Parts: sequence; C-alpha cells; structure tokens
Amino acid sequence: MSASPGTERDRKRVVEPGVTARSVTAHVSDLVLERRTPLWWWVGFGLSFGLFGLFLVAVGWLFIRGVGIWGIDWPIAWGFAIANYVWWVGMASGGTLISALFFLTRSDWRSATSRIAETMTVFCVACAGIMPVIHLGRWWYFYWLFPYPNTMALWPQFRSPLHWDFVAILVYVAGSLLFWYVGLLPDLATLRDRARRRWQRVLYGLLALGWQGSSQHWCQFRMLYGLFAALMAPLVCSIHSIVGLDFAGGLTPGWHETQFPPYFVFGAALSGFAVVLMLVIPLRRALELTGVITLRHIDVLARLMLTASLLLSYCYLIEVFMPFYRGEQREITVVTSLLTGYYAPWYWAKIVLNGVLPQILWVRVLRLNRPLLFLVALGVVVGMWIERYVIVVGSLHRNHSESSWFVFVPTVWDWATLAGSVGLFLTGFFLALRFIPMVSMFELRELLHKKKAEGGR
Amino acid sequence: MTGPEELGWRIQGGLAGQSGRALWRSLDELSREPAVLEILRAEFPGMPDLADARVGRRRLLELMGASFALAGLSGCGPGEEVDKAIPYVTMPSGLVPGVARHFATAVTRGGYADGVLAIHQMGRPVQLEGNPDHPASLGALDPIIQASILDLYDPDRSRTVLHAGRASSTNGMVKALVDRLPALAARGGDGLRLLTGTVTSPTLARQIAALKQHFPAMQWHRWEADGRDTVRAGSVLAFGRPVDTVLHLDHAKMILTVESDFLDSAPGHLRYARDFARRRRAAEDGRPEEMSRLYAVESSPTLAGARADHRFAVRPDEVEAVVRALAAELGAGPAEWRQGAPGWLGAIARDLSANRGAALVHAGPAQPPAVHALVHAINDALGAPGQTVSHIEPVEADPVDHAQSIKGLVADMAAGRVDTLLILGANPVFTAPADLDFAAALGKVPLSVHLGTAPDETAVLCTWHVPEAHELERWGDARAFDGTVTIQQPQVQPLWGGWSPQELLAVLDGETRPDGYSIVRQSWMERLQGKGDAAELWADTLRMGVVPDSAAAPVSVSLLPGLADRLPPAATQPNGTLTALFRPDPWLRDGRYANLGWLQELPRPFTTLTWDNALLIAPATAQRLDLKNEDVVEVHTASGRLRAPVWLLPGHAPDCVTLPFGFGRRIVGRVGRDVGFDAFQLRTSGNLWQQPGVELRKTGESHRLAATQHHQMIDSPDVVRHATLDEFHQNPGFAKRKEPQQSLYPDYDYPRNAWGMAINLNACIGCNACTAACQGENNIAVVGKEEVLRNRQMHWIRIDTWYEGGAAAPEQTLFQPMTCMHCENAPCEVVCPVAATMHDADGLNVMVYNRCVGTRFCSNNCPYKVRRFNYFNYSGDDNRLSMSWNPDVSVRARGVMEKCTYCIQRIRNARIAADRENRPIRDGEVKTACQQACPAEAIVFGDLNDPDSAVSRRKASPLDYGVLTELNTRPRTTYEARLRNPNPELQEV
Repeated sequence: MSASPGTERDRKRVVEPGVTARSVTAHVSDLVLERRTPLWWWVGFGLSFGLFGLFLVAVGWLFIRGVGIWGIDWPIAWGFAIANYVWWVGMASGGTLISALFFLTRSDWRSATSRIAETMTVFCVACAGIMPVIHLGRWWYFYWLFPYPNTMALWPQFRSPLHWDFVAILVYVAGSLLFWYVGLLPDLATLRDRARRRWQRVLYGLLALGWQGSSQHWCQFRMLYGLFAALMAPLVCSIHSIVGLDFAGGLTPGWHETQFPPYFVFGAALSGFAVVLMLVIPLRRALELTGVITLRHIDVLARLMLTASLLLSYCYLIEVFMPFYRGEQREITVVTSLLTGYYAPWYWAKIVLNGVLPQILWVRVLRLNRPLLFLVALGVVVGMWIERYVIVVGSLHRNHSESSWFVFVPTVWDWATLAGSVGLFLTGFFLALRFIPMVSMFELRELLHKKKAEGGR
Repeated sequence: MTGPEELGWRIQGGLAGQSGRALWRSLDELSREPAVLEILRAEFPGMPDLADARVGRRRLLELMGASFALAGLSGCGPGEEVDKAIPYVTMPSGLVPGVARHFATAVTRGGYADGVLAIHQMGRPVQLEGNPDHPASLGALDPIIQASILDLYDPDRSRTVLHAGRASSTNGMVKALVDRLPALAARGGDGLRLLTGTVTSPTLARQIAALKQHFPAMQWHRWEADGRDTVRAGSVLAFGRPVDTVLHLDHAKMILTVESDFLDSAPGHLRYARDFARRRRAAEDGRPEEMSRLYAVESSPTLAGARADHRFAVRPDEVEAVVRALAAELGAGPAEWRQGAPGWLGAIARDLSANRGAALVHAGPAQPPAVHALVHAINDALGAPGQTVSHIEPVEADPVDHAQSIKGLVADMAAGRVDTLLILGANPVFTAPADLDFAAALGKVPLSVHLGTAPDETAVLCTWHVPEAHELERWGDARAFDGTVTIQQPQVQPLWGGWSPQELLAVLDGETRPDGYSIVRQSWMERLQGKGDAAELWADTLRMGVVPDSAAAPVSVSLLPGLADRLPPAATQPNGTLTALFRPDPWLRDGRYANLGWLQELPRPFTTLTWDNALLIAPATAQRLDLKNEDVVEVHTASGRLRAPVWLLPGHAPDCVTLPFGFGRRIVGRVGRDVGFDAFQLRTSGNLWQQPGVELRKTGESHRLAATQHHQMIDSPDVVRHATLDEFHQNPGFAKRKEPQQSLYPDYDYPRNAWGMAINLNACIGCNACTAACQGENNIAVVGKEEVLRNRQMHWIRIDTWYEGGAAAPEQTLFQPMTCMHCENAPCEVVCPVAATMHDADGLNVMVYNRCVGTRFCSNNCPYKVRRFNYFNYSGDDNRLSMSWNPDVSVRARGVMEKCTYCIQRIRNARIAADRENRPIRDGEVKTACQQACPAEAIVFGDLNDPDSAVSRRKASPLDYGVLTELNTRPRTTYEARLRNPNPELQEV
C-alpha cells in the first residue's frame, strides 16, 4: 500500500476515523480472550520454540564443557556472548525510550505502540541478562558480583566496570519488568472483567491485583506510572553508558575512548527503534490494528531511527578521527586494521547498515513503504550486532602486545547461542502476543476521549 | 602349599601397622618363595618384577638417611594402584611433610650427562633442577632434561616384559637369554650383538669390556640418530685420532660458528651458554672491551646464529667453501681455496687473527667431517688450543662411527650372522637410516631383546621387550661433556618394575638376579678405595652428584700434515636445485621424547611451532616455488618421498629446506601419536645430514600448524630495545624513555619486601628453558594441538621472537621472554569485578583462583597479554599421574584465569625459613623456576627494597627499561636492552 499524500491533518492522525473506545477495547481484548489462535501464530511460535531448543542445547553443552566450546581465544577473551549482551540490551532500550521518554513528553503517538515496545524490552532484557552470566568461566558463581554480606567479608571490586554493569543490568531488568507490569494492570483488569472462561477469569483476576478502576486507584496509578517513567528514562541512558564503560574502562586501544557512553546510548536507541519497527509493521496487519497504529506511527518511528542513525554516524566519524588527531600509534593501528584488515568486511557492513542505508528515510515515500522500512530496520538490527562484534573482537585483536595478535573465529556453538537467544526472545514474545493485550486499551480510550474533546471544540 | 588366599592374607599381614619400608621387606620375603612367585605370575604378570629383591638399594638408603619410604609405598603397587594415596600409619623419621628434599643425580641426553637435583616432596621426586656443582649444568637445565620428570611418570611407559608382543615374565626373558649362553660361549660369542646409543657410562663400558673377554667374537654396535659422527671423524681427519673438543667461551672474544649447536644442544651447551652470556654482558658491567663478538655462518638457523653480531645465511654447499676460504685466509690451507670467497670473509679473518688466543671457531654436528677438520686447523692457526678450546679424551666409551656401525650390523642381520641381539635403550627401527631397512633385517634375528622405557617401533618387532627403568629409577653412571662422571642414584622405586641396561648386561654374564646397585658400586669402589674411607667417599660422591676429579684429561694432539690433500671433496649443489637438511627437532631429538606433552607443546625457537614439525624454507625460496605457510608439499628424493607442511623461516639459507626429524612416531604413547611427519623416511646412511637433489611438489592441500606467535614483525617494535656498543657509549641511556608517571592514588608502601625481576636481553639466548621450567614448577597444563590452534596455550612465560632487517637475511633476531610484569598499577586488578586479582603485602600481583569467576576482563586489559585462561578443564583432562604434580602449587580448574606468580610458593617457603630463624630473606634465597633453569643467567629475581640485591643492581643499569610504561603500569619486571658488537668494517659494507 503506498502512502496517500493527504492533508497535514491526515498525516498526523494517530487514530483512524471510526475507531471508538468501545471498538478498541472489544477488538484488543477479543484478540486475547475470544479469537482462535491463528495459523501464523502456531508457525511462528513453532519456529521460535525450535530456536529456543537450540539455545537450551547450546547452553547445556556450555555448562557441561566450559566456555572453550566458543571461539574465544587468547588474546580475544571476549566474543559473541558480550556482543550478544550489548546487542540485546541495546534493543531493549527501544521499549523504554518509547514508553518512558515519550510518556514524559506526552507524545500522542506513543499510546498505541508502547505495549509492543515494552513487551519487546522485557524479553530483550531477559536475553541480555543471560549473556554475561553464561559468559563467565564459572557461571555458577555469578552472584559473587553482587555485594552481599558474607562470612569472609569479601566485597566486589567497586572500581570494576563489570561490577557497575552487573548493578546496572540488575536495576534495568527489575525496572523494565515492573514498569511493564504496572502499565498492564488496568488492561489485565479489563480482561478479567470481559473473560467468559473460568481459567481466564482466575488468571487475569490474579494478575490484575484487585484493580477496581476507582478514582483512588487511578490517582495512585498515575503517580506510580509517572514516577516509573521519570526513573526509567534516565536509566536507559545510564545503563548504556555503563555498557560503554565496560569497554572504555579498559585500556585496550579501540576501547579506551571517552565518547563510548553516548556512543552506546545512540547505538542502543537506533537498534531499539529498529526492532520496534520490525515488530510493529507486521503486527498492525496481523492483529488488525491498522486503525490505531497508523502511518503516523510508522513515520515517527522511522524518523526516530533516522535521527539515531545520524547521531551514531557522528560517533563513527569521531571513532576514526580521534586516533589520528591524538596521534596515538596503537589506536591508529586498531583503526587502520578495522578499515583495511581482517575485520574490514564486518566494519564496512556496519557502516553501510547503520549509517548509510537509513539515510533513505529522508524521503517520506520510502519511509512509509513498510516492506522497505522493515528491511532497513532489519539491516540496522543486524548492523548493530555487527557493530558490537567489531568493537569487542576488532579491538582485542590489535592489542598492545604485537606478539600476541591473533584473530577470533566463531564456532558453531557461538552461532547456536546467538540464534538460540533470538529463539528465546521470539518464544517469549509469541507467548505474550497470545496472552497479553498488545495495545494499551486504557491509554487508547483516554487518547480517543482527548481527541474527541479536541475535535468537539 | 601357599594358596592365593593365604598369599593375600600374608600381604595384608605384612602391610598392617607397617611403614612403607616394611612393606617392601615383606614383599621381598614373600617373593623369595618360588611358590609365591608362581602364584604372583599367574595373577599379575608384572608382579614378580616388582617383587624382585634390591637388597643393596636398601642398604644405601639407610646409609644416606634418605627416605624413599613413601616412594617405595606409592611406587610399589602394580599398575593403576599408583595414583592412590596411602597415608602413613607411622611417620618415618626425618621426613617432614611439605618440606622438599634434594637429591643429586644425572640425566643423560644423547648419552651425555647433565647433573640434576631431584626435588622430592613426601618422598617422591616432583621436579628437576640443575646441579650447581655439575660442570655441564651449573644449576641450569634445558627443557628436555626438565621434562624427564614427566617421562618418569608417563603412564604410557612399558609395564611388563613382552614376548612376541604378549605380556610375559621377567624370568622367561632371563631364561631365554641364559639358555642361549652356553651355545654362545662355545662359539666365542659369535652371533651375539649389542646395539646401544652413545654410551658414556663407565660401568656399561666396563661390563661390555668384560663381556668381550667372555665372548671375543661379540660385537658392540652404536647408533645415535642425532649423534656426533662428523665431529669424531673430523678430529680423526685432523689429528689422526678421536678427541673431544671443549670450548672455553669465557676466554673467547671472537667467535665464529658454522651452524654450531653450542647454544642449542651440544654436550655442555648449558655451560657454554653461561660462559657466552657472561662475556656478552661485559659491557654493561663496565668492561666493554671484554664483550665478545660472534659471527655465524649457517644454512638452518641456530640459536647461536640468532645471537650473532653478523650472521650469514649460506647455502649448505657453500658453507664448506667459506670454511676453506677462511682457513686459507688464516694460513691454514692452500691459497687457491680463497677463490670465490664472499666479500665479508676477509673482515672476519682479520678480526679473528687480530685476537689470536682469544678467538675460536666451532662447527655443528651437521657439518661434514671436512669442515670439522678445517675448524681444527683454523683454531690451531688462531692459537685456540689451550686458550679457548681444549682437546680431551673422547667422553664416549670406545668411540666408533655410528653410521658404519649400524650399517655393519644390519648387513650381518640380513645375512643371518646375528643370532642374539640386545638393543639397549635405542629405537633403530624408527631412527636407523631408511636405506638400511632395519625392521626387515630384525626379522631374521632369532633372539632379539629390546630394553626400552616405553613400547616403541623396535619393541614390537623384537622377540623380547624388557621395560627399562627410567634414569631416575635406577643406578647408573654417565659422563658429561668434559668427562666428569656422575653416579646416578634412583630417586624412586621403579614405578612399573624395569631393568637398567647394566642389569640386563649382567644377565649375559650369567647373573639371573642382577643388582644394578652392586654393579655400579663395583665400578667405583675400587677407585675410591685408595682415597680414604670408601663408604664415606661413595656417600659424598652421591650427595655431590659429581665424582671428584673425574673430568677427562686434556690430550695434546697436533695437526697431521697434508690436511688439504686428505679432505674429501666438498659437496656441490647445481644452481636451481634444492638440498634437504636433516636436523633433529630441538625438543624431540630423535623421537624418543615424542610422548612428552611439555616438549610437544613447547614452542620451537624461531618458528614457535608446537605439536608438528614442518619443512622449513627461506621466504625467498618459497616465493620462487610459490609456497606459503601450511601448504603441504611432497618431498621427492632419490630414496623416497614424503608429505610435509611448509613453514617459511626468515633467515633460512636459500635453495635448501630443513626437515626436522623426530616426529611421526608410529608406535608411541597417547601423546605422541599422529604428530608430525617422519623425516627419517628420507634419511639415508650416505646422506645423514643433507640430501641434494630434492624436489618439492605442491599437493594443493594444506595442514594447519599450531604456532604460538603469529606476528613476527620485521622491524621489531619498541618493546624490545637494542643498540650497538658504539651507540651505547654515545648514549648509555638509549633504552630509557621519558614517560609521565602519575596516578590519582598515593603509592603503596611495601615495608617488608618488594619483589621484582630483571630480564637481561643481552644474556637471553631464546632457548625456552624458562618456559619449560615454569611449566613443571607451576603445574601448567598441556592443552593439545587443537587448543594451541585456537591460541589457548597456557605457558606463563613465553619467548617473543622479533626480526629486523628483511626476511631474507634478518640482521637481528631478538628474543624477549614475556611474563607477568607485576605492575604497580596493574590494569588487570581494577577491572576484575570480584577482586580475584590484587596486590599482596610484598607488591606481588596475585591471582586468587578460588575467587575467580572467569570474566576474562583482566586478560583483555593486560597490555602484555600474559594471562592465561582455563577454557576447558585442561588439568583434569591431562592423563599424567596425579603424583607427578607439584604439591606446592594449586592445580587450576576450568573457568579460572592464571598467570605468573613470581613462584610465590618459593617465596613463601623462603619466608617461612627466614621467619623461623628470625631474619630477613637473604638475597638470592628465592629463585624463581625460570631463573633457576636459565643457563644464561638472564633472569634475576629479588627484593627491590634492598639496594644491594642482585636485582636492584641490575635495575640500576642504564640499559634497564620497562615495557609499555607509557601506559603508567609501572611494571616490576624490567628488561636490560640488548647490545650488539658489530664489526665496524662489516657495518660499512
């Protein structure tokens, strides 16, 4: 479907005409409560579950044998697991940015997409949280990173970026989960009230935590949700800054860069918007949500992705410029090696996918071409993984000690873990599709009410 | 009648409430009953060997007060029992758990002894160190001797006598031999042959001489695949008689080596390395005029070449021409030899003759006899004898030409003239020249007895195979490069039974229960008797590890006239053809060490290859033939063909390739199986060291080679600094860099000790002894080829190799040992989230294995890349016996990081000793394992708080510099920059 030019008003429309509070509630809750599970869901879920099985096998073998099954070597002691971690946690930012940051800005396009984005965040964070744990040589002691009181009076090394990272991810996991759940409460209560089957009534009744919709509930809900949003919006910046410090805190050339914290925030935002687009584009068709997720949403998300891509491209420029500006020989070595060496194909792939291709979104017609946009977003998601891979591996392979220069060659288990983590994410997301309303019904009702009031004026 | 049940009861009865020593006594007593022996044999084929009485051994143990009791206990069980710990019921007196004891003995390499001290923990040897009193060691040890402790505990060693490949009994073997004796005696020993490697053992020599009296027609053959035939032949050519030449490098100012092995493997190389290094360090000690200058002419790179101030990579056929020309220049040969001499030779000749009496020339065993004879002539012309070299009686007993010897043996075997063949510790089926076909000839010998420590190619083809007691398990004696004798004393009861060669020979003398102890003692008691209390002298000798005044007497020889006419014609090589050079692998030698994981995984100098040999070729020649690293080529010679992977080696001479032998063992333990290619297949008796007319054919296949260093940069980086002597004079602080040393944090105070290390690049010869010593001391796991291919080797100290000046003829080969620098501002420490690595009170950067969770950030953040990670459970997967690990050092499990600790266990032992005596730790009291093993004294360790300590003095040198100090790591380990002493005349050219 090509974009209809329409008027300025049409372009900004976040709800199609004819959508009412009643129709939104009926449609969205029926998707969960009444609708027969569609075939595409079974196919998608089956494939995802298969990949998830692969993940279990890969991690099981990892637990039996040790991290040696991966391609990590010496001097490249970090590999896919860390790249995967940064990738997943970066994509998770999409949900938080949309639901927290744009809640604070009171953007009207946020309401219809926030649930999809937040659900995505929850499962991305789950994937991200697993990676640093299985990456450990002795994963069963991962809790030693936490400053818990113990008889040996041993504390973590508070100067270590990995400790900051552990704390950051812990807070982020907890925060995202609670934010998501709190935002779900009124809708869970709606489902409880509309459910006809007993198991649904019990399930949603328990989950709704006794939500009555009283004005006191709403009052407290508003306050809590606002607080959460005010907390999560800076948190999404801090976690990616700290992820950046995981690298910048080391003195490996190519990592030791002051620009890494914002660099990682921009990268996270880019991949976050891209993955939201990748979910929204097919889901608005599959779930028949075109009435509430309009071209306006697509347009906004695409513009955001473009913005993030420009910010990140600036970082890419700085990354190449600074070593030469400083004249640090070892950093120049890393950069020239990235531009021309063993990892050059990866490096240029990241430049093209993250920096060059998104530039077509300057053109509105292309921006609203959903299949094309989907492909660009997919390119960005892949490109962002490549970016992290290049940062992790490319820098280590040109370290300070020339005699130990070597390359990283991934094994089948590296790929299995990566593919398996995608399976873990999709499995979770498909289950959420089936059991959780994918559009925030109460927010849309509120939005429609507001629009109606505005229209009436 | 004694039934099995009763036997069991009696053994148990013997054990109950008894110490290990008593256990032996009861087994001995049991074993003397024939009925018991029969039952034992039926139940456990290997048991009767174990039950053999060794009364003499016990008497010695009492005399020494040495406690082998636990060794007896742990070593006495048959087979698998060995690695089960059995606690003491009653503690033997004099043994303190956790306190090491040292016992002197010697381990031979190619027949020549290196004196060692075996370090015992709880009664078992766990490590070898050099014996400082031994002239060939002076406290240092090379990797091969160090690995012999691993050989001792090798679970793949022979455990039972084999008859036609099946388990049999010792008595059967003895009977087979003894039954043959009357017939042999009747024929005067005709048909009786002995085959050994190089023998320096006076006892063996005495026994063989005695046997020859009984059996006048008996013949003694020798075959040492990497032997020194050419050296011997050269001295015969020059002097008319065999002599051994000992170098006095401490007196040598000008040295020319001709593919010399004096730093790699020559008998006495450890000593030579020390003498050489001392002269090289003279300049930094304020005596620049004493610094020696080294020229090297060679085809295949040697360590000496790497240390040379001027190195010339020369085609093998041109080497002899160069030596002839030099002889002519120095008046030791006819003037026409000068024709076609390279331009640089004149300067060398002038330099050498200007230093008459302080110059020497040395050639390696791969050079033809003519070169050795010429070298003798040149040395004579340089006034070297008596100054820088001395000639002594040959150390080898009854020296013969090995190639002729084995040729004669095989001819006789094939002709059916050999009916009893004893092979003592040799593996000729694998190592003998390929054209002889030893295996086929062996099939025609009715009775062949092979004595060897492990089943090998020869063992399975002989009618009998007898397990040989390891050198650390038996009595024996051996001579060092200068003739000094060491009496070898057993460090442990034979783990799997086993005979010494002396004992097996005694069987030919009609002894059915020979006792190695009395055989060896007999050789020496006569000598000692005249000098006082013989028993006391004997004990002293054993304690010292050296028989006093046993060095060979210098002999006065003079050059026979007319050498020029007697020289065989020099080999020639038509242009455009290739010559193959056969050289022993530096660690596996003739293949006998193939089952030792430490040696398989120890990087070879220059190539850093592990777990493989490769056809070594000059980069230019490889380019001409369109070959690159890891290409598999088929090597065609007149005698056969072979497939081998290619490795490009900077500094290799053009138009020739080196084929290292010792790999490709076919019948060997688990470690050495399917490793490398067997270059012996192409080595023929006529062309033992070089084979002209070789053709390489590309196969299009490739074979992955596990090198440990992948970037051997031409133009070395700033981490390894060097200058010429002149540059040093002009700017003594050339190695220093101005670096800001700032920190937000205040300095820590280390009031007690501040340990530090200095590594002298001027001394380092790149021999890898430190790497091997560290591996043994610190229980470093062997990871195998697949893991090395992934670059996961575990060595805590590595030798980085750098070249300078072009791949074809690098002007410089630089070695730099790299290990944990114990930085004051250690980058690893701040990034570890669980604080598993941190500084201790003495300023060591310690690694707490128990706390490590394996984030590996420390390794990423280490600029020196000296941290090693247990990606798998390497130590657990190792098949070495648990009793062979060093009990002072934790064995690391999967998932933890490890690295150099400055041998913290040694520091702690010294600390305990010092605290008990209420004194500070003395300088030199703590020696790290790498320092201990280093033959060149390159590594010095000690307390930086003490301004007079050896390490503080070294660090005060203007040459001292730290690596990567611009990162403000403030390393505790620093280096002294290397100095070169080039000839100004040649520099201008």
